Amino acid sequence: MRFCLLLTPRGRSRTFRSMPIYAESLTSAHRLFLTDHFPGDGCLLSQEGMAAFSADASQERAMPWAVVRPENRGQIEELLKWADSERMPIYGRARGTGRVGNAVPTHGGVVVSMLGMNRILDVDENDFVAVVQPGVVTGDLQAACIDRKMMYPPDPASVKYSTLGGNVSTCAGGLKAVKYGVTRDWVMGLESVLPGGKVLRTGGRSHKNVVGLDLTRLFVGSNGKLGLVTEIIVKLIPLPETSASVLVGFSDLRSSMDGARAVFRSGVLPAACEFMDKVTIQAVRQVGDVPLAANAQAALLFMVDGSEAGVEAEVRQLVTALNESSPVSVEIGRGKDEEKIWAVRRTISPAAFRIRPNKFAEDISVPRGTVAEAVERAHQIGEECGLIVLCFGHLGDGNIHVNIMHDASVPDEVVRACRAKDAVFRLAIELGGTISGEHGTGLTKASFVSEQLSQEEIGLMTSIKQVFDPNSIMNPGKGW
Amino acid sequence: MSGDCILCGKCLEVCPLLRATGREELGPRAKADLCFLLGDDETLLSGEDVAKLAGLCLGCHRCKAVCSQGVDVPGLVAALRLAHPDFKGWLWKTWLTHARELWSSTSLAAKLIPKNFQSEKFGPFLKMLAGLKGGPGLEPFLIPEIFPDTYRGERMLLFAGCTANYVQGRWLVTALRLLDGLGIEVLPGDFKCCGGGLSSAGFDVESEAMACKNIDVWRKAGKPKMVLFCASCLSSLGGYENYFEDSEEFISWQRSLMPLSALLREATFVVSEKASGKVAYHRPCHVDKADSDYMFLHNALGNRLIVSTSRECCGFGGVMRLGTPALADAVNRDCWEKLGTPDVVLTGCSACAAQLAATAPNEVRVGHWLEIIA
Ligand SMILES: Cc1cc2nc3c(=O)[nH]c(=O)nc-3n(C[C@H](O)[C@H](O)[C@H](O)COP(=O)(O)OP(=O)(O)OC[C@H]3O[C@@H](n4cnc5c(N)ncnc54)[C@H](O)[C@@H]3O)c2cc1C
Ligand code: SF4
Ligand code: SF4
Repeated sequence: MRFCLLLTPRGRSRTFRSMPIYAESLTSAHRLFLTDHFPGDGCLLSQEGMAAFSADASQERAMPWAVVRPENRGQIEELLKWADSERMPIYGRARGTGRVGNAVPTHGGVVVSMLGMNRILDVDENDFVAVVQPGVVTGDLQAACIDRKMMYPPDPASVKYSTLGGNVSTCAGGLKAVKYGVTRDWVMGLESVLPGGKVLRTGGRSHKNVVGLDLTRLFVGSNGKLGLVTEIIVKLIPLPETSASVLVGFSDLRSSMDGARAVFRSGVLPAACEFMDKVTIQAVRQVGDVPLAANAQAALLFMVDGSEAGVEAEVRQLVTALNESSPVSVEIGRGKDEEKIWAVRRTISPAAFRIRPNKFAEDISVPRGTVAEAVERAHQIGEECGLIVLCFGHLGDGNIHVNIMHDASVPDEVVRACRAKDAVFRLAIELGGTISGEHGTGLTKASFVSEQLSQEEIGLMTSIKQVFDPNSIMNPGKGW
Repeated sequence: MSGDCILCGKCLEVCPLLRATGREELGPRAKADLCFLLGDDETLLSGEDVAKLAGLCLGCHRCKAVCSQGVDVPGLVAALRLAHPDFKGWLWKTWLTHARELWSSTSLAAKLIPKNFQSEKFGPFLKMLAGLKGGPGLEPFLIPEIFPDTYRGERMLLFAGCTANYVQGRWLVTALRLLDGLGIEVLPGDFKCCGGGLSSAGFDVESEAMACKNIDVWRKAGKPKMVLFCASCLSSLGGYENYFEDSEEFISWQRSLMPLSALLREATFVVSEKASGKVAYHRPCHVDKADSDYMFLHNALGNRLIVSTSRECCGFGGVMRLGTPALADAVNRDCWEKLGTPDVVLTGCSACAAQLAATAPNEVRVGHWLEIIA
């Protein structure tokens, strides 16, 4: 086994157990294989055609050597058999909305676009499961479930334009994670093709299963590093009858945290519990009317769902609990008005760009009790670096979106923003949290992984990957 | 402009071409990114090839409507077409600028298309042109009952659009009857084509000339309200921003644009005995959020209106249909999948009406909603 030493972009050295040797380009024999197996539009080789597959929402970029579009599992089996023997880097890709560059083909190789496999195979009202191909847009599955009065709860903000394959591979979380958990909690079974072309089926339609190690959960969040997912079985629940939302303003951050604590202590488990700091509130005020008191310096946004009577009662209980921390405004939304409240949350991202043209949007997660400290210290970091830092996000699960605003055309600002980003990551780890609650590490955070995970953990993960992918052809070049 | 794209992917939700084909390189983000890459490093990609690929766009404007960064993908595509014109653009231009001759009842549009383009793949397109000659139309079954006095005595211009002016005369007649019922005096106005098709095909000079002429008609008439009944014309006129003296005048222009169906909001109608059974509504890509045509039909037809498209495009696709009909057909199939097989499909856009009429299953009849007004 060879050892090699790499210098990371941030100057720290990392030790790799071994550097796999990959194909260096596409030979004419490779081309022939790909065009034979993926005829017509199924294989792209032109630069113009492939450009769309070179980047994702992280805005990182690398050109692939080829793009293929399988329409069935058989094609993927053939592809991964060939790729393994040719040491061809393989990059699974769905809608490319990942924010850390996980779908970017850093080593060239072949991008496998899964969008052709986009059928909802089953939505079963008896078993309360759905079976889908990976290219199905998550919002489309949710709509199909709602038609049958069922619900698939994971709801990343990108739910209407990202796919189940992508969500499973990144273990996407969302607004309602506080009550309903993240993608991992809803995946019951998977069918995947491994390097070498073997098909692996794990889990199934049974809601309980304790036999053996949980390989399904291992695959969820593995970011295409173990194999390509070709079929997904997810759990469904009955659709809640109704919901209500409450937007609450506070005079400072600490009282908003007290408010959230009081709500949970009162016995209410909201479906969503979001917060916004004062800079975020200022930003959203610039783009439209916000139903918050003028003196609000922090805000909480709750959603409760369930039966009509249950929701009524929970809203009452929630508002009573909040009174202890003296909110400056309470706005309750039902029906169409609920939408108005959530529109505020949705405008945060575009509103942030009114402050500065660029941002580093980090998604650290910390123990819930430390959110106030994390936010205050993130603001401090911003001040020290001379930058505006916006904090908002999923308070319910301690997942804070820290947006470091800057102007990328000013080199000095970029340097300061990078410094702030480093400091924010260290802060998360110091508070016992994680550098990423949702988006993963991919390219943009790869160099920080070793600060969070121990050598033992990384060593074990590398060994596990080797069992599935001995030649390391699956999504090479990315962090854990 | 394309550099403003942050590759967030939000526009992927709404692009009918991406949905119908599953080909990411045809989506709006890919187009914005291609334009950015082309501007960033001219040696990396071939301008001609980029224009060809990015030019595969239906011009539906749905992506522009949802982009938080204000990226105008169909605008970028039009600029590329302008920089790299080819026969598709030429053909489209010929069709639109010669609307009067092409669409008159005596000339057969297809004759003007050069022999070598009359291949198999243009078959459906030629059928569509033939469809534009008028046809028998739908059997009217919605009878106006009471007109409100809201607009009585007002004077307005009527922008009928090329299809009603040159092909579907009965749309124009019905619109005039409805305006008469509302007590609105229609001012004379010799409008040109709205220029929407030309502008998206990359013919800036021609479309600007048309826009300026239309604005001139409005100014000369004393800047009155302008009634329209084609969603695409309305959207195109609403986008004339660059041709006004100042933003104030543009705002008053925008405010003057009135969909005919919005004027009918308080009117009441009865459904006649011989009404068709199940009615579907096709929501045009270019219709505004309020979609007053839908509101009108929803109120007038009640549960006779069984289905409405929302995210499906008819697949008309302008220039793209001429060059790559197979892609536009895939989009069209998605649309019919949603519409199913009702007795009648109604819409409020002349291009959608023509496209859907040309591709409708045998037993389904298609028309502008004006055609059902008795
Ligand atoms: C505006 C915006 C909001 C977002 N909000 C959230 C949020 O609230 N929560 C959240 O968690 N994320 C969020 N994201 C990030 C992103 O949407 C998610 O990571 C999503 O799960 C990615 O799905 P995708 O279909 O785009 O997959 P891609 O980005 O194409 O792929 C993601 C990863 O999955 C792998 N992959 C894809 N398909 C397969 C397959 N079939 N087999 C194996 N591997 C595969 C790829 O190799 C890659 O590593 C957001 C992104 C944006 C741009
Ligand atoms: S065009 Fe707009 S919506 Fe589409 S990816 Fe770019 S920024 Fe996002
Ligand atoms: S204009 Fe329509 S077809 Fe063209 S890229 Fe945008 S959404 Fe897609």
